[in-house]
Amino acid sequence: MTPFELAEPRSLREAAVLLTNGGEPAHAIAGGTALMLMMKAGVFQPKRLVSLRAIEPQHSEINVLPGGGLRIGAMATLRSLERSVLVKQAAPVITRTLKTLSNVRVRNVATLGGHLAHGDPHMDLPPVLTALGAHVRTLSPAGERTLAVGEVYTGYYETCLADDELIAELIVPPQTGWRSAYFKITTRAADDWPTLGIAVALRMEANVVREARLVVSAATNTPTRLSAAAGVLLGATPDAAILARCGDAAFAEVELVGDVHGSAPYKQELLRVYVARAIRGALVDRL
Amino acid sequence: MNTTRTITFTLNGAPVTTTVGLHQHLVEVLHAQGLTGAREACAQGLCGCCTVLVNGIAVSGCLYLAVFADKADVKTIEYSPEGKLDAVQESFIECGAFQCGYCTPGFVLMVRQLLDEQLDPSDDDIKHYLAGNLCRCATYPEVVKAVKLAAKKRKVAA
Repeated sequence: MTPFELAEPRSLREAAVLLTNGGEPAHAIAGGTALMLMMKAGVFQPKRLVSLRAIEPQHSEINVLPGGGLRIGAMATLRSLERSVLVKQAAPVITRTLKTLSNVRVRNVATLGGHLAHGDPHMDLPPVLTALGAHVRTLSPAGERTLAVGEVYTGYYETCLADDELIAELIVPPQTGWRSAYFKITTRAADDWPTLGIAVALRMEANVVREARLVVSAATNTPTRLSAAAGVLLGATPDAAILARCGDAAFAEVELVGDVHGSAPYKQELLRVYVARAIRGALVDRL
Repeated sequence: MNTTRTITFTLNGAPVTTTVGLHQHLVEVLHAQGLTGAREACAQGLCGCCTVLVNGIAVSGCLYLAVFADKADVKTIEYSPEGKLDAVQESFIECGAFQCGYCTPGFVLMVRQLLDEQLDPSDDDIKHYLAGNLCRCATYPEVVKAVKLAAKKRKVAA
């Protein structure tokens, strides 16, 4: 790794100011697990980093909001989310997803904000949180704004966040009436980077789907909604025929890209099969 | 451009003050202190050979900036306050849960963490918790046995 300077502000607000006031733009670092990999590989050679590790402790808190939603500070570690009873009660799909999101040591250090801001399309939580209808609140010297998680990503490792804009917290809406699942397909270890990720959230009335959000990731540059496949589910009871039509619709509506985890044609077939499996998984949503 | 910092931390119970490059990771600094139990092997946080405890929590030392350990309590496999093997180390030896031994420090530290969290982990719990520790000699079946034996030994001792 190449030498750099490091600032360690005591507040999120101060951190956002430091990101651009030193001349050359600096990069924020929280847990650092993802950035360290990039710095070691030489693809990221920062001159200045702004550490978020000394900012106010409330940015690591997990709270339940009135109505049953969640507010999670961006500096909460992935491990603290995994072990949180509040998260498990409000959105068990998040708890399940974290079990195979990298390993215990990385989850001990990596933060939610870093995970969401990194922009690697193989990250597991962006598709899940997009399906859950979650939002991030960001802070910059220009002010605060709220963005749907799905709006954050604009391309491969690209986000809509400004150079001096930081994710402050995540808001997960109440999941009453919704059932969700995330299927992560890996070609090596279970906790490897996904070759394909599929997140599903369904609002059910009895056995009928009233709303559906399907999101594919890890084979697209950004988490991508599958609207045609979701449309097949609306007003329907997901039986074998509906699920097969759903898989075909997903196959037809999105063009996947290959990478070291699998070729594009392989992922395209996985999508057709796993859309149905993920929907079935959502129907039995529990820990 | 100031790219170094003098940090102070507790290393295996003893105070250490040292100047580090801000870009150095924790394993580099531990090696400079003469401790070689934590090794950088895969360099990507996947293999567990660089496991170090920072404030009692297991981290991948090769993905952890040394400056982040400023004022922290750092413990490595070399930490042995009673000067003898603990239940986990004894169990690894009794079960033959290693061959070359390169990965063993990381496994031992992670198993201690696992048993601190769960008194009686199932096979699934063990495999899940240790998914981030690789043994290229493939002693995984023996490792699972060793964890169960260590759990028993801890119960007897308690």
